Amino acid sequence: MTEATADDPLVGIEHLAVIRNREAILDNVSLQIARHQLHVLVGPNGAGKSTLLSAILGLIPFSGRILLNWQASGAIGYVPQTFVVDATLPVTVEDFLALTRQRRPICLGLTRGARQTVHRLLERVALPEIARRPLAVLSGGELRRVLLAHALDPEPELLLLDEPTAGLDEGSAAWLEDTLKVIRQSGRTTVVMASHDLEQVRRLADRVTVLDRRVVAQGSTDTVLTKTGVLDLLPSQSPRAALR
Amino acid sequence: MTTFYNWVGELARAGTLPSDFQYPFLIRGFFCVLVLAPMLGGLSHLVVTRRMAFFSAALGQAALTGVAIGLLLGEPLNAPYGGMFGFCLLATLGMVFVKRHATLPPDTLIGVFHALTLGLGLCLLVAVTRQFNVHQVESVLFGSLLTVTDGDLALLLVVGVIVFALLIWQYNRLLLDSLSPPLSAASGSDSAFLEYFFALLLTVSIVVSLKIIGALLVEALVVVPAAAARNLAVGTRNYLVWSVVIAFLAGAGGLVISTRLLVPTGGAVVLAVSAIFFVTLAFRRLGRQG
Repeated sequence: MTEATADDPLVGIEHLAVIRNREAILDNVSLQIARHQLHVLVGPNGAGKSTLLSAILGLIPFSGRILLNWQASGAIGYVPQTFVVDATLPVTVEDFLALTRQRRPICLGLTRGARQTVHRLLERVALPEIARRPLAVLSGGELRRVLLAHALDPEPELLLLDEPTAGLDEGSAAWLEDTLKVIRQSGRTTVVMASHDLEQVRRLADRVTVLDRRVVAQGSTDTVLTKTGVLDLLPSQSPRAALR
Repeated sequence: MTTFYNWVGELARAGTLPSDFQYPFLIRGFFCVLVLAPMLGGLSHLVVTRRMAFFSAALGQAALTGVAIGLLLGEPLNAPYGGMFGFCLLATLGMVFVKRHATLPPDTLIGVFHALTLGLGLCLLVAVTRQFNVHQVESVLFGSLLTVTDGDLALLLVVGVIVFALLIWQYNRLLLDSLSPPLSAASGSDSAFLEYFFALLLTVSIVVSLKIIGALLVEALVVVPAAAARNLAVGTRNYLVWSVVIAFLAGAGGLVISTRLLVPTGGAVVLAVSAIFFVTLAFRRLGRQG
């Protein structure tokens, strides 16, 4: 067995297949995700983008191989596409963020250290005032920021984002894009993001993979998005772009 | 224990304690409530968050079948724990395994187990009533303080301490897994382990509570306290405290109702906890309007 080197991709996916109800959700998908890049998965609804992220997380059974060549913390940050909170759930933002940041059960109270960490995380996502609010009353944009705050601590070696700007207003989406640029510039985190928004992909992505249950195209952003036939698979433009 | 019961009885006769405490079975009942409230109340807020209310109901029915199996295998009527633990553990492992490996919705799968265990239990109960008076089996169905022994109380106490310790050990992971299994997995938790772990904790807690609450009603104490607490609580600690307080008030209130009106303890406890739920609901509505 050989050690992974800095030149090896962080994620190597070989012949990945996911079958659900006898239907192939992903079929013979092979791709490599280079370190410290922002790699975007694009494709129509049902293309298997979220399924691919779930497979990388080990949440679903699959055939084929997924190799993770860790060189730093080996931590994975994840922001799911949906995070449904019961309307009456009394868990607050600081409770939620403290869950993985203190050993003491949070039902016995938060430690001073956890409170300070939570405060720092919320400042990082520009929401320091919401610590004591229940998760259930947050707007979609606020909840997405809280999930991002959770995903960014401890600093992840791999950050998985599933449609992170879906349903966000312009301001929140712009803020999230700026944050992603800062993360990429830090050079310590590899980002894999599923997205529908081609304009956003052009602004952010280092590399793009077009999925439609299998890999249709992959490569640098400019190469892939100018390839003949690729854009026909994708939504012509984002709803946000359509409004402009 | 006799000396202790005599001492408490003397205090009750002297008017220092309520007159109910003259009777050892009521003292035992009160201590049972003292252990049951934090145990079931504490579990209840995770049961509701993990959407396991129907699972708890199915476990109660499985316990009934377990009692019938135990009695048929020759266990004593007042302590058929072997049959109850054995069958409930089997049913729990079966439900969790099938839920994790099947594509049908969880409530549908639990419904299948619910029907299966109830049908089996009813068939076996017919055989049991050939050996025992049906009224003797009633105490398992509806709960009865008269049948609770010092041994039951000791078992409840030991299980309560173990459940508390194990819950504290995995609490944060369990709550995160309840809120979002994918986030839990991304943080390194083993979702399968947590699901089996919590289901087994719940099973053991339900089985040791059956003699007091009854097989048909036990799920009320692992669901309603947390449902009522949600109407009052802000914050997880507050949620847990209210769940335990409500479970205790329901248990103590149920004891009083049960002894005053000579109705089954389980039914009385469920009536009390349901009344508390509707009061908290009214508070919530008033709070919104205010």
